[in-house]
Amino acid sequence: MDGDGYDLSGFAVPEGIEELHHLLERVGSDHPDLDGGDLMLFETAVIEIANNVVEHGSPPGVGWRFTLDVLPDRLEATLSDDGNAHVADLATEMPGVDAESGRGLPLAHAILDEISYQRVDDINHWHMVRSRAGSS
Amino acid sequence: MQIEQSERDGVVVLATSGRFNMVSAPRIKARIDETVAAGNARIVVDLAGVDFIDSSGLGALIGGLKTARQASGDLRIAAAGDQVVTVLKLTNLDRILTPFDTVEAAVDGW
Repeated sequence: MDGDGYDLSGFAVPEGIEELHHLLERVGSDHPDLDGGDLMLFETAVIEIANNVVEHGSPPGVGWRFTLDVLPDRLEATLSDDGNAHVADLATEMPGVDAESGRGLPLAHAILDEISYQRVDDINHWHMVRSRAGSS
Repeated sequence: MQIEQSERDGVVVLATSGRFNMVSAPRIKARIDETVAAGNARIVVDLAGVDFIDSSGLGALIGGLKTARQASGDLRIAAAGDQVVTVLKLTNLDRILTPFDTVEAAVDGW
């Protein structure tokens, strides 16, 4: 392992969200050169996508795999699960200020430079990319 | 996650810590609802100990704000960290949930 790639397998349950937080903390400590703001926002987007799988994945608690690469110009991650196809509503519009839900995916959109959902060979893949500060 | 409750000048302060997420958000929203139902509709949520908020946490704050205002009160947030402030801006919620620097400032300015 070259120290730049991370791979975590688990389940789409709240404990799995905690594991993602812990992994992203490790990314920060392994890469002191990584801009703290970039990592903070990337973590926010990753958790929103993961929340979406926990809340809407079927069957509940499906197995998932998270991979993350720290590249010179970007952070790139994929969250894959083997549940049924998601109703991929890649909503980008932020709801009104009085809404109590519906901000997860728009928030991820606001943070990420690339976000996509694909279903390939019965596996759901959420792909997330954020350019690193000063790497445009 | 723990929620510590105190009172200052007739304002209830709810201090929470850790991650304000899909697990903790329903508990915090329930506590806000209970506080308003008990007749205390002026609430400050002290976020000094919160290092991460997600959209579930935001939803709980908006729900709490609505509950408090329906009872002729209000809900304010104080001592939010960088991640919370950034997420509030990205979601435009800083327009209705202005972060006060400290609990004292939130209570004093009522």
